[in-house]
Amino acid sequence: MDRKLVNVALTLIVVFLSFVLLVWVGGSVLNIERLQTGERPLLRFVFVVIGLVAAFAVYWLTRDNKVWEVGTREVVYMAIGAALYAVFSYLFNGTVFVVPSVSQVALRPAICIPMFFGFAFGPVVGFFTGAVGNMVGDALTGFGLYPQWSVGNGLIGLIAGMAMLFPDKKKSMNNVLIVSAVLAGLATVIYLLNRTIPNTLFFNPVEGIFGDQPMTAFAGLSAVVGFILVLVVRFAFAKNVDFGAAVTWGMLGNLIGLGFAAISDIWINGYPPAVAIVGEFLPAAGPNLIFAAILVPILVAAYASLQRQTGR
Amino acid sequence: MLVTWRYRKRRSLIQSFDPRAWIVFYLCFMGVVISFWDVRVLAVFFVVALTVVFSSGIGWREMRRAWLFIGGFILYFSLFTFLTGRGGVEFYTEEHVIRNLQAPFSIFGWQPIVHVTVERAFYALSMLVRVFSLASMTILIPYSFNPAQYGVTFRGLGLPDKIAYAMDLTMRFVPTYARDFQVTMDAQRARGYEIEKLRGGLFAQVRKLAPLIVPVTIQAIAGSEDIIDAMDLRAFGVRPRTWLEELHYRPRDRALMIAGAAMLVVSLALAYLGFGSFWVPEALRSLPLL
Repeated sequence: MDRKLVNVALTLIVVFLSFVLLVWVGGSVLNIERLQTGERPLLRFVFVVIGLVAAFAVYWLTRDNKVWEVGTREVVYMAIGAALYAVFSYLFNGTVFVVPSVSQVALRPAICIPMFFGFAFGPVVGFFTGAVGNMVGDALTGFGLYPQWSVGNGLIGLIAGMAMLFPDKKKSMNNVLIVSAVLAGLATVIYLLNRTIPNTLFFNPVEGIFGDQPMTAFAGLSAVVGFILVLVVRFAFAKNVDFGAAVTWGMLGNLIGLGFAAISDIWINGYPPAVAIVGEFLPAAGPNLIFAAILVPILVAAYASLQRQTGR
Repeated sequence: MLVTWRYRKRRSLIQSFDPRAWIVFYLCFMGVVISFWDVRVLAVFFVVALTVVFSSGIGWREMRRAWLFIGGFILYFSLFTFLTGRGGVEFYTEEHVIRNLQAPFSIFGWQPIVHVTVERAFYALSMLVRVFSLASMTILIPYSFNPAQYGVTFRGLGLPDKIAYAMDLTMRFVPTYARDFQVTMDAQRARGYEIEKLRGGLFAQVRKLAPLIVPVTIQAIAGSEDIIDAMDLRAFGVRPRTWLEELHYRPRDRALMIAGAAMLVVSLALAYLGFGSFWVPEALRSLPLL
């Protein structure tokens, strides 16, 4: 792995471990109730800060790179991305259009927007698109605000945009594939060890079932299925590096961003770790990988065509 | 062509404050409401939210669609929370039964039953009051927040010029893209596309969403060139920005912000001390356990 990626990965790991240590020492050793698991409003804000610190750390380590510059173009793309993500989230959240669900895998196509905007216009645009778009979308739907999930969505766009930090896209893609394989594999192993945990994000309006059904095998394995699809795109379009880079970095962003949000619920909502991973992370992140593999390349191709037409 | 939110100037409580002061109060209010699960405490904030709604000067006809959508959504999910007890397990470990409603029929040997318990009922009620309070305050913003003041408001709240302007544009673009989506969907339907009847396997269904998502996204990006050119021609980002409208705090605005901040600090402190957590009446705890 090259040095930049190692630095970025180390920073994220250090920030996360610091927090785990704080919660473990404070909650378990010193018995400070506020740092123990359960419904903890204060911890929502702590996790928002952690997510922002992680994003800032990535920026700080690579601050000399031009991808962090924000000009007129980036400002407008930030606004377009966030508005589109908000509108699509509102429309596809199962409220206006009930998009079908297959084997407890709910379809949330809007997730391709922060992935695409991050990849095409850089990490700042990606972060803004994911974080602000999710906030506005939740507000429009009437869900209220879940700031740690908004930061998690922001991280999806930020990490998708980190592809621009690496001049050798092919090499970075391979490293990202290895990291993603480990993360997807780990989540799947946790599922295989806890197969009876319900899919907490699943809702079937026909049968009125909401989160009380054990995960189907397809939903449980959706992260692996999504990973394989991404792998297929990566090698099937080997000549077009952009397709592969967009889906692989989008995949890593999705795994880390949603992993961050789901893991934060261990402390915020008091979920056992297995429930957070199997009941929350997998049903959200797995289907998103399928979207990354199918919709993001279509958007990349359409945008490339637009660039050819307009010459910009 | 840009589509705008349905803002107009009204004589109302919400519009009598500086928008920055109102946004600060709104964020504090959100923080306060999500700090509590006790329905008695939440009822106080529910009354505050209703007072703001009724004094907003926005007629039922103007907000009818938004209220019906959000109200229906909240009631629907509260009902499911009540029927399934979803989410409540984080707050209670035992349930006291009010009544068990058993269906008079069976499906393949399974007889549907709904356990009506004190805890589920109060959890669903708390959820209803909580979400309704949040939604009531949120729904008013596009109707009472002057679009000409989006940017200067976010700038006044301490965001950098570029981020403030990005927030301004985001708020302006949302109704426009919602309209574009509707137009695109109508055009695709005219070609025989039916989102309600997507067929095929999972991958085929995902691929079939592209005719909706891709045109709206690419059209938005293509249309952005005019906006970028217009901003560049006005030397956007070269120097600290000046705004056409200026906002000035008055004593009442400062008082509102101080009240919001104080309310948030007190709420967080009370929540920290364990006050306002999930509550059910003590008298109902004598009912039989589930």
